[in-house]
Amino acid sequence: MTLIAVRGAPRVNPVVRRLAGHVVRGLVMIWVVTTISFVIIRNIPGNPVLGQYETLIEKGMSPDEAQRATAALYGFLPTGSLWEQYTGYMKALLHLDLGQSLSTPGTEVVTLLGSAAKWTVLPVLGGTLLSFVLGVTLGVYAGIKRSGKLGDLLSISGSLLHGVPQYVIGLLVLAIFTTLWPILPAGGPVDVEFVPGFNAGYLASLIQHATLPVLTYALASYGGWVLAMKSSVATVLGDDFILAAELRGLSRGVLFRYIARNAILPLFTILALSLGMLFGGAIFIERIFNYPGLGLLLVNSIGARDYALMGGTFLVTTVAIIIANIAADLLYAVIDPRVRTGGTA
Amino acid sequence: MTVTAILPGGGGQGSRRASLRRNFWRGVGRVLRRKPSRILGVAIVALFAAMALVGPMLYPAHLPRDDNALYAAPSLAHPFGTDFEGTDVLALVVTGARYVILTGLVTAVITVALGTVLGLLAGFHRGRWDTVLMRITDLQLTIPGLPLLLVLSTVWKFQGPLEMGLVLGLLGWGGIARAVRSQTLSLRERGFIEAARGLGLSTTHIIGRELLPSMAPYIAMNMLIAVTGAIYAQVGLFFLGVLPFDSNNWGVMLNLAVFGGGALTSAAALPYLLAPLLAILLLTLGIVLIVDAMDEIFNPRLREE
Repeated sequence: MTLIAVRGAPRVNPVVRRLAGHVVRGLVMIWVVTTISFVIIRNIPGNPVLGQYETLIEKGMSPDEAQRATAALYGFLPTGSLWEQYTGYMKALLHLDLGQSLSTPGTEVVTLLGSAAKWTVLPVLGGTLLSFVLGVTLGVYAGIKRSGKLGDLLSISGSLLHGVPQYVIGLLVLAIFTTLWPILPAGGPVDVEFVPGFNAGYLASLIQHATLPVLTYALASYGGWVLAMKSSVATVLGDDFILAAELRGLSRGVLFRYIARNAILPLFTILALSLGMLFGGAIFIERIFNYPGLGLLLVNSIGARDYALMGGTFLVTTVAIIIANIAADLLYAVIDPRVRTGGTA
Repeated sequence: MTVTAILPGGGGQGSRRASLRRNFWRGVGRVLRRKPSRILGVAIVALFAAMALVGPMLYPAHLPRDDNALYAAPSLAHPFGTDFEGTDVLALVVTGARYVILTGLVTAVITVALGTVLGLLAGFHRGRWDTVLMRITDLQLTIPGLPLLLVLSTVWKFQGPLEMGLVLGLLGWGGIARAVRSQTLSLRERGFIEAARGLGLSTTHIIGRELLPSMAPYIAMNMLIAVTGAIYAQVGLFFLGVLPFDSNNWGVMLNLAVFGGGALTSAAALPYLLAPLLAILLLTLGIVLIVDAMDEIFNPRLREE
């Protein structure tokens, strides 16, 4: 701070400048994504927007009313120039108006998104945190004992689980626990006979239904954590301060903490990114276990030709990732002082 | 090199090249023989390639179908059982391989070609082009691929494996472009590139004859990985059921096995589900084993002589 006073020129805090840059870039990306979804919805074969407008007129609505009704559904006017449609769409988005759902008539897309989001967040958070804790702990071990039997086993299992696509793991889990050895329910978020609320039956059913999706998330992302932590540990092991700590005769426990705390830094960034990513990556798991989150909403909206809902879901998924990107970068600045001071680290 | 010296009239360009090539293949053979698992990898990939090439010709008229044996258990006649209409599952897997592998290849070629060219240009010329290209790759890497594919599938029906591969390729070159760019950035500061520049060689020569060969192994490995990525993506799309089932494909099998007529309610339908999964896992295993072998062939530091 004194440095700033001496120099006289006001210098912006590097973290704030970083944030400003990211926010601007994020906004540009959101704009690009909204434009893409506008172009796609407008170019769908058969032009559903114009089709809706014409159906309403055939039903005896006046052109003006039909215009307004269609605009409420899709967020933009069915007729008019491309530019008018585009600005109309953007204006509606700025007011967080994503239009109305076609497959559930009379419901705002935003409402549907809100209720789906809670079902996505629950298993995503559970599964990611579970696999993060497990993968990171085992990854430290695999990194330190790289040449041992157990270290080898951990690395190989990590590579295999990391390499296999999510739906393969999900389908195997489904086949094992619902068909071969049917101990858990195959689909849905909760059994219908329970009253929602804080009663034992409802919560038990909730947990039962969430077990398989969470298990699949955890298995599908566990491998990535083990591999990332292992390579991060390998880098830290070569650092001078580890050698110094060994020479000072510090105990194994202290040494372990030194290694783990430094190696985990880059992983926090990946954690923030993957939390954003899983909003989109949950599609397969939610489809397999019929779990009513955002991913299933996207797939169902495409099946039902509900384009306003589809556009809204796509937008939310993408914005989640863009925000996660910004959060990841800021998080890194907070936990790693070398980045915060603006030095070259 | 020693071989050339002994050869009568050695030192000619042609014979030196030939002996280099022979040494290369000898090295490949040695690397493959050291770990039997690598020969297995080559065998698996060769098997799938054969399935893709001649698979559909094995069943020219129609697939073997037995209307009296729906969801039959595995037997000699039907090694993986039958599906909901009594069609032989093994035949479905074999004939479905062509679509899956062809898409994978098309995607890999487009991804690698675009990614390499753009990455080389951005890394070698730097400046304004670099900034623009990296912004585009940023965008491409940020927008989630699967949701974008799903949304695109409403406008574009991805008819046939070639179109499918084209879409996946156009959406997937960002990662390779970024990797090639960073390799170029580090290579262009090395001594041999500086020497080439000092000799006044043309940019085309430097990029084509100096930079590209040193990155070729890396690009080749990325290509194999792109094949697996494309296979996962398209099988996944068909599994989700957002594309019209116009042809036989492993993803269509998975979709029908899980969602078609409550197939998963009985254990009898399991072979129908497991057969395409097994095919995907086997093909992945084969490619991973080959990548491991390539790593050692092209990276001499990994060789334990």
